Amino acid sequence: LDAEAYRQEALAAVEATSNAGELDEARVRYLGRKSELKQALREVRDRETGMALNAAREAIEQALAARQTDLERTELDRALTEETVDITLPGDAQPRGHLHLITQIRREVEDIFLGMGYEVVEGREVETSRYLFDALNMPPNHPTRSPLHTFYLNGDVVLRTETSPAQVHTMEEREPPIYMVSLGRCYRRDTPDPTHYPIFHQVEGLVVDDNITLADLKGTLQHLLRSLFGEERETRFATHYFPFTEPSIEAYVSCFLCDGAGCRVCKQSGWIEIGGAGMVDPNVFDFVGYDPEKVTGFAFGWGLERMGLLRHGLPDIRALWENDLRLLEQF
Amino acid sequence: MRVPLSWLREYVATDATTEEIAARLAISTCEVERIIRQGVADDDGNLGLFRVGRVVEAGKHPNADRLQLCRVDVGEREPRQIVCGAWNFGEGATVAVALPGAVLPGGQRLEEVTLRGESSSGMILSEQELELGTDHTGILVLDDGPEPGTPLIDVLPLSDEVLELETTPNRPDLLSVYGIAREVAAIFGGELAPIPGTDPERARDEPVDVRIEDLERCPRYLGRTFTEVRISSSPPWLKARLTAAGMRPISNVVDATNYAMHALCSPLHAFDRTKLAEGRIVVRRAKPNEEIRTLDGSLRALTPDDLVIADAERPVAIAGIMGGEESEVTEETTDVLLEAANFEPVGIQKSSERLGMRSDASNRWEKGIDPYVAEDAARLCSQLFAELAGARWVGESDVRGELPTRPTIKLRPARTSALLGLEVAEDEQRRILESLRFEVGGDWNVTVPTWRARDVTRDVDLVEEVGRMKLEDVPFTLPARREMFGRLAPEQRHRRVVEDVLTGLGFYEVYTPSLVADDPHPNAHRIPQPQSLDQAVLRTTLLPSLIEAARHNLDVGNEGIALFEIAHVYLPNGELPTERIRVGGIVEGPYPRAKGAVETVLAAGQIEASYERGDHELMHPGKTATTPYGIVGELLPGILEGAWSAFELDLDALEWSEGWTYEDVISYPPVKQDLAFAVPEEVLAGELIEAAHQTVPELREMTPFDVYRGEQVGPGRKSIAFRVEFRSPERTLTDGEAAGLRQSIVDALKAKFGAELRA
Repeated sequence: LDAEAYRQEALAAVEATSNAGELDEARVRYLGRKSELKQALREVRDRETGMALNAAREAIEQALAARQTDLERTELDRALTEETVDITLPGDAQPRGHLHLITQIRREVEDIFLGMGYEVVEGREVETSRYLFDALNMPPNHPTRSPLHTFYLNGDVVLRTETSPAQVHTMEEREPPIYMVSLGRCYRRDTPDPTHYPIFHQVEGLVVDDNITLADLKGTLQHLLRSLFGEERETRFATHYFPFTEPSIEAYVSCFLCDGAGCRVCKQSGWIEIGGAGMVDPNVFDFVGYDPEKVTGFAFGWGLERMGLLRHGLPDIRALWENDLRLLEQF
Repeated sequence: MRVPLSWLREYVATDATTEEIAARLAISTCEVERIIRQGVADDDGNLGLFRVGRVVEAGKHPNADRLQLCRVDVGEREPRQIVCGAWNFGEGATVAVALPGAVLPGGQRLEEVTLRGESSSGMILSEQELELGTDHTGILVLDDGPEPGTPLIDVLPLSDEVLELETTPNRPDLLSVYGIAREVAAIFGGELAPIPGTDPERARDEPVDVRIEDLERCPRYLGRTFTEVRISSSPPWLKARLTAAGMRPISNVVDATNYAMHALCSPLHAFDRTKLAEGRIVVRRAKPNEEIRTLDGSLRALTPDDLVIADAERPVAIAGIMGGEESEVTEETTDVLLEAANFEPVGIQKSSERLGMRSDASNRWEKGIDPYVAEDAARLCSQLFAELAGARWVGESDVRGELPTRPTIKLRPARTSALLGLEVAEDEQRRILESLRFEVGGDWNVTVPTWRARDVTRDVDLVEEVGRMKLEDVPFTLPARREMFGRLAPEQRHRRVVEDVLTGLGFYEVYTPSLVADDPHPNAHRIPQPQSLDQAVLRTTLLPSLIEAARHNLDVGNEGIALFEIAHVYLPNGELPTERIRVGGIVEGPYPRAKGAVETVLAAGQIEASYERGDHELMHPGKTATTPYGIVGELLPGILEGAWSAFELDLDALEWSEGWTYEDVISYPPVKQDLAFAVPEEVLAGELIEAAHQTVPELREMTPFDVYRGEQVGPGRKSIAFRVEFRSPERTLTDGEAAGLRQSIVDALKAKFGAELRA
């Protein structure tokens, strides 16, 4: 057998195959047990012929393997081309729930203060007037004490109108320094309308330490407001009055809708009122047994709903209590 | 509180614009709601289109009985023809005219029109149309002085700006134009005019019979008497100011009392003296069953808690709240008794609340008015009585109890700077306090002005006075920390995990009211006087609220409803309820839907739970389980359309695994088998599992995957198939060992439950 001629014929045949069947036929024909090559190898007597025949065999095996790879790749390419799907069709539906907007804001606020080293303190919602009013320096005739504003359960048991009692409990339980926020439900006898609901949520903040200043309060609230409403926001603080703080201030943030130019959200003023704050009144410290000459502090109490309504342009606070999935899934 | 700028600028000299004044007041004094443009707009030459006119001819409109056709000289070559609907004037009257093109205060632009066939090139104006008063019964007839064509602005206060302020309850002194002027002077350094008002000449010195029976509720009553009073309407400047300040002009005498109140804060009242029995004033508590008809026409029943101003016989006013109709000043009044008193806030507040009456006066008294201002208000009002009504001042009596003294407070200037976090120089602190009329001694003993005596009693209150003037200079800093670390408490972290697991399962978080219409707990805390019957009881369970929320979503056509809520419940326990934090959920689907959610939540905390048959008034008796943490079950049919399941767990009670140690589950793989047992119908899978675990410690998992009922197991029985895993932590179990363990379970379950191993 002419090994070289056989090799060339076989390689040409392999090259000419166009599918796996033809390739198998070529393999049987040129390398099978009955092939001329195998017969020749069985009859070989001299070393030189043997080497030549084996070289041809190896070359043919390699060609077969290479061709097989080529054909498989071609086959795969064809299959991939044929199996195209409409990639814009929806994927398999996965269940996805949603946290309520108030919980999302609650977590954001908690995380902002955790980042500044504050604790989150839980408070009760049903309180005594001692913790809600007396401790907070509310004079006996303060309108908030009236049953027209506050829900009384019996005697001096009340539904808290703000989260502040949590501050008082914390101060009673331990010594300064205190860095805390407390978030939760509050209750006031408000007639439901787009911006009022008898049940709402507040975040209360309290810091008591050496040398706490009004500047510290401004800096802290500015950080909170920028975290919630955008780092580019400006803040403004105006004098105000609360029985439990002195000096008292009201915080404003530059309108995020019009950037201060004046629009519907900010009532043309460029500023949005967010809530009250101030330096803890010495009478509050007296109540819990802290020495106002030794420590100072600041406190604030803001509504979570208000932040949510403002930030997301929600027109009616009552929608937050209706729990319609179509609204909830937007957040 | 509305402050007309023209009035304010009479009391304080400043170059600041209205906008600048508003901006600085908003930071340092009180909220500025808005700036109102009052009267005729002062732009594009609009004011020039308002002129003095003289009616040269007036007669009936030829085609309309109710209209006048006038020719009015407005200083032009020819008089203008103007059609007018009013008849309170005639030829020769001097009137206010707006020419075509003029924009009226309401925003309406005047056009040249034809009315019933006659052209009208202008409009003769009423005071209401100019926002100078409320009278619209006829046009405004002016004094004859000014020449036709004179700009109307030279004759009438046509245009003003008004600050609408929202003051805080601690600052009643700001409920006066002069009080605001004092703030503006302090803020801008402008000069403050002396307190307005000069006493007229005293014609006689007659005694005025004033008695105060309750000096606590009425520490001061200053009564002045006037004769020869001529009641008329007020001049345009006064009407304009009162209108701009939000009050309705009534008559010169009543307007004078309101003007003095608005200027200086202390409310005043004028009585027709001839209507007072024996001309006497007695300040006393009302007697039982006494009543009075007040100025608003209502008959008011009084109680001894109400303070009244009485004459010798009966109440003539409810002190500080409203005068009586009988002693009201009328057109016939000639003798007036002016009341400049002081009333304690709490009593006024209570009476006003009980009677459901609020007035400009009671609103001020409730906040605590400086008793020393009464005489200032009386002085300004007396001057106006004399000037506007020709009144002669004939008597005075000033009865008073002990009036409060001015507090003196030691201020430490260094502490001011320390508390503000801003270095404020001592000179600057002194300047600010003195500009607010505090007297600052050389030793920093600060004496508080009378009108701030209730509010400023401690050094920290003085710090606020300085601070509010420097608020914008206070820098933004953060506390310099000594210690404290920010972290969530374990239960707070757990709460977040539960929220995240449930939202991961496709649940939507809801917020439902914690006050509900009714609650299954018979002793649930009730609000004695609820605002609405829907929100009357503090709930002890979340489930009814969740069902409501689900129903609402069904009603609006939402699909895939799965809701959860984390909130307090309030369990009756004496005076104060015990508050627990619960997680509740509701989901469309039978019992396994809710139970699957519960199992996933518990698995997240590696919390072990057993399930026993439970019962609940809202749940299917055969499809309800209790756990140590709460309840899970399928809702009774009919509560909601379709099959629904729900759960409620006590979050505080969940026993979260913390800090568990590693277990090698990889080195020695488990032996897995399937086992099926036929058992009587009433046997629970959980009972079989528990018994198997107790028998064979190497049993790691035993999970039911099929329940079969039918011929092969016979009636009254069922077959439960389990996937079982045996695993030893020490070595790989042989097939033989596994078979032995399996046999132990088979034997135990047979002995305990009569369970038969199948196939």
